[in-house]
Amino acid sequence: MAERSQTYLWAMRALFVGICTLFVFLRLLPLDTLPRGWAGPDFILAFTLAWGLRRPEFVPPLLVAAVFLLCDLLFHRPPGLWAALVLIGSQTLRARAPDLRDLTFPVEWVSVATTLVAMTLGYRLILGVLMVDQAPLGLSLMQMLMTLIAYPLVVLVSQSLLGVRKVAPGELDAMRP
Amino acid sequence: MAKDRNQDGDYSGQLRRLLVGVLLLCLLGLFLVWRIDSPRIERFRAQVIDRVVPSFDWAMAPVTGAVNIIHDFQSYQRIYQQNQELRRELQQMKAWKEAALQLEQENARLLDLNNVQLDPRLTFVTGVVLADSGSPFRQSVLINVGARDGIVDGWAAMDGLGLVGRISGVGDNTSRVILLTDTSSHIPVTIEPSGQQALVSGDNTPSPTVSFIEAPDRVRPGDRLITSGDGGVFPAGLHVGQLAKDPGGRLRVRLSADYERLEFLRVLRNWRDERISDPGGLVTPYGPIPNPVDPENAAQESVVAEPADG
Repeated sequence: MAERSQTYLWAMRALFVGICTLFVFLRLLPLDTLPRGWAGPDFILAFTLAWGLRRPEFVPPLLVAAVFLLCDLLFHRPPGLWAALVLIGSQTLRARAPDLRDLTFPVEWVSVATTLVAMTLGYRLILGVLMVDQAPLGLSLMQMLMTLIAYPLVVLVSQSLLGVRKVAPGELDAMRP
Repeated sequence: MAKDRNQDGDYSGQLRRLLVGVLLLCLLGLFLVWRIDSPRIERFRAQVIDRVVPSFDWAMAPVTGAVNIIHDFQSYQRIYQQNQELRRELQQMKAWKEAALQLEQENARLLDLNNVQLDPRLTFVTGVVLADSGSPFRQSVLINVGARDGIVDGWAAMDGLGLVGRISGVGDNTSRVILLTDTSSHIPVTIEPSGQQALVSGDNTPSPTVSFIEAPDRVRPGDRLITSGDGGVFPAGLHVGQLAKDPGGRLRVRLSADYERLEFLRVLRNWRDERISDPGGLVTPYGPIPNPVDPENAAQESVVAEPADG
């Protein structure tokens, strides 16, 4: 039993890495080199937050930091800052997860939204204070909104297709070795 | 049991908090180091990209190809219109071709008359676009030539027609080209035919802005923009695009390079010109002439002047 759940745990972690790699790959495809006037949702972030709220053990802090640091390096962002903010955000959400477990989805969505807004504002504030070149404000806000809009979709896919659900009260004991 | 689990949770929780703290310190430390000593971290970034992106390459080419085929299918729907447009354009192009041929002959004659040596060092390396920046905020592409092929930071990248951007970040097998449309791209240009100097700055739109023109009333939409070579970053005389005015009255450049399909890029080898830093060195290499009749000095003069004649 213990062994099986251990294998399952590592399989889900590998699945998370696979999903992140897939989205990194899709974003790196050289399809439109013209500047677009819009920004799509950040699916990697949405998956991290959604999984972190449901099964924190699938997205351990080390994995989150590694994935987002790699994204920072690949997407030509200031390295480290966004990764640190995502780590803080996901850990804050994780700390609130026991309260959210019994509540409905809209409440969860609102708390994800506040975290995301705080992360985006903090990011822009720190970059502004250190006088680093920034992306246009409209584009960052648009990406934030799109991520929020995409969040329910990500949750739906995670729950129905990938089987990442909240742990039911009785299940927690059964799962432990 | 419940108590036991709580204690266990507490212990692992503390451990996790410690881990998170250490990770945060590392990440923020990396960010601060990047802010203070950016070139070192950027070199590290280039190495990481050099390792990661080519491993995607086997999948990237077919997927990009497939998506482009779908795009092409969409354009087949209006094939009749396109055919008409192409015929019309072909007519114009024939006229231009005649003009170009005549100009080419004339140019060859004039070059011959002047005995001009075109700079033989301006050669290029062609690379294939591997990936784009992956973010709507940055405009850059990765190409598959790098330090192995002798690429150096700051060289210019063109497609067949016009300037595309400059190299910024060189790995062993890949290098990044910051496009002219990126917000951090600023290129000094000359506006022909009036010869005004200006700066082309990207602003995340398809046509970058043209600013710092000395006399804006002497330029008009349709003028050609070529790089001026000021600042020693770019070779002079690369074609950038045509001047245009947007509805808000700002001057912009309509880029000649085809930004919709960047597939192959030429990176121009640009060995820096010799700098003239000392005005006295131009007159004589050994400082001011103390006495014109000094025979030793005069001998040196003639030795130095000789190669310039030939």
